[in-house]
Amino acid sequence: MNEGTASTVRRQSLASLWNTAGPFLGLLLVVGLFSLDSEVRGYFLTGRNFKVILVQTVIVAIGALGMTLIIVSGGIDLSVGSVVALTSVVGAILLNKNFSPFAAVALSISAGGAIGFLNGAIIATFRMMPFIVTLGMMGIARGAAKWLAGNQVINAPETSVNNIMSLVDPDHFLPLPRGVWIAAGLAVAMAIVMRRTIFGRYLFAIGSNEAASRLAGVRVQRQKIYVYSLAGLFFGLSGVMQLSRLTQGDPTVAIGLELDMIAAVVIGGASLSGGSGSVLGSMIGALIMAVLRNGSSQLNWQTYTQEIIIGFVIVLAVGLDRLRQKTRATEAA
Amino acid sequence: MKSRWLTGVFVLLCSFVQLFAAEKSYTIAVIPKGTTHEFWKSVNAGAMKAQQELAAQGTKVEVIWKGPLREDDRDQQIQVVENFMSRHVSGIVLAPLDSQALVKPVANAVKSGVPVVIIDSGLKSDKMLSYISTDNFKGGQMAGEHLGKLLGGTGNVILLRYAVGSASTEEREAGFLDALRKTYPRIKIVSSDQHAGATRETAYQASQNLLNRFGREVNGIFCPNETATIAMTKALRDIGRSGGKVKMIGFDAGTQSLADMKNNDVQGLVVQNPVRMGYLGVLSVVNHLQGKKVEKRIDTGVQLVTPENMEQAEIKDLLHPPLDKYLK
Repeated sequence: MNEGTASTVRRQSLASLWNTAGPFLGLLLVVGLFSLDSEVRGYFLTGRNFKVILVQTVIVAIGALGMTLIIVSGGIDLSVGSVVALTSVVGAILLNKNFSPFAAVALSISAGGAIGFLNGAIIATFRMMPFIVTLGMMGIARGAAKWLAGNQVINAPETSVNNIMSLVDPDHFLPLPRGVWIAAGLAVAMAIVMRRTIFGRYLFAIGSNEAASRLAGVRVQRQKIYVYSLAGLFFGLSGVMQLSRLTQGDPTVAIGLELDMIAAVVIGGASLSGGSGSVLGSMIGALIMAVLRNGSSQLNWQTYTQEIIIGFVIVLAVGLDRLRQKTRATEAA
Repeated sequence: MKSRWLTGVFVLLCSFVQLFAAEKSYTIAVIPKGTTHEFWKSVNAGAMKAQQELAAQGTKVEVIWKGPLREDDRDQQIQVVENFMSRHVSGIVLAPLDSQALVKPVANAVKSGVPVVIIDSGLKSDKMLSYISTDNFKGGQMAGEHLGKLLGGTGNVILLRYAVGSASTEEREAGFLDALRKTYPRIKIVSSDQHAGATRETAYQASQNLLNRFGREVNGIFCPNETATIAMTKALRDIGRSGGKVKMIGFDAGTQSLADMKNNDVQGLVVQNPVRMGYLGVLSVVNHLQGKKVEKRIDTGVQLVTPENMEQAEIKDLLHPPLDKYLK
């Protein structure tokens, strides 16, 4: 081995380290920035506050798990916000019809899965652009939610569903609400699925080069249906979490939520052209945005400042990603 | 000897406490439903007015004005409440986007020692320090009585409702019907089952449909919110029944409604006092923090504005609050 290849190897491992550590550093940076002011640090850097941040991340985080699958496979889903609203309405209706909490939750999640299946089936069967199909579904699901709910919010009866996301003890970090543990558990499971299973590797293959995957014997269209269906289940679960948080099914909630999820996935190092991305990165991306929101509240920033800053962070994150890809490409050449 | 020494320490401690009390300042978060509407700007102005007055009296209050990131999104408003709770502000003044969804966050805030005052819209909870809002039922009654008087106690009346499930407007509608039934039993209500819906467009369509059917026989109309009032007035103008031929009573006073009133197309507007809501919200929190008693329910009052009194000074102040004086 000559010196040239050794340095390339070193540089490559450095790059991969940067890839995984990048989002994490970003999170630390954001937390650090908000902790600079000693007065703000007093209430920002507390277990109590991080509990609030974690709870506020759950809905976006669970959705981002599904979105990671889709984006890695080279697709996109714009219907998530509407699906979250729809499934929260479905859950509230079922609870009002005296379904057991377990059955209501299971059926709401399945409703999300069914919409995902529909998205996937249309995309695969008619070879249509995911952007267009899910854009259509965004309207359909939103409309269906309003229709089912009779154009108003549906208050859910007091059941154990309401407790999944409740803070219980707002003054201490523990106990964390169940929703946080569920999100964390699912993230670990999905990280393993993406890295260690055939299904997971197919996703990366399809996202990197769909034609090559097909030629290599991957049943691309069928995999796409799987991807959108599985992601739909996650979006359904997000809807359940939303229901628990509001204690009501609200057909107008979560407008534009899919953009938060896409941003989380992209901040986490995924590329919108597919083939790259990681569950861990997406989770950190979701956390970064929640920390930004919480921190700017603590710092008395105006709501619009917050929006502008989050916008900048997204552009910055993607910019860094392009830079990384460029250096990788020149290294390969 | 020892006791004197203890007394000395005690006095010293007391003076320390006093020093702190004098230096003490409060941070109060005021959370509206949204930030772009005129109504919420007035609430903001009221909160700043309270801040300025309290500062003049020597109580330092920092008012933080913060709406939900996405306007009218309940989850976003919950996040704002939670963030202020974990920041341990001295108190929160909240206009809840929903009477149920905000119950838990408010309970949590109170649990962790942050008093909450609810303004504008109700909350299904008894955890709050006080509920400060318009008495909507009374506002509706006021509209009914004025319309009855204008019609001389007889005639056909339409009530165009706002939307199903909106508590404040339903109270106004109930108050309106209550006043007519009690005071003017000879007035006939020809329609009271149509809804205007959320936008000017839906309200306009509903108004046109109603006037197609009842346009020739109707003598008086009441609409319980701003968009419906504007739309119905426009529909009346379209069929040439405006200008007082049909007596038109509305709720709230936007720029358009006031212009319509100047043209005598609107004969009465029931107006709320959002400045007072923001003002009393902040003041109540401070009173509570200073150990004074705060009423559980505070009415901010309604005012009937008519073409005759709309030029009076105090009415003008209500219609065009001096926002610039308080909002820099």
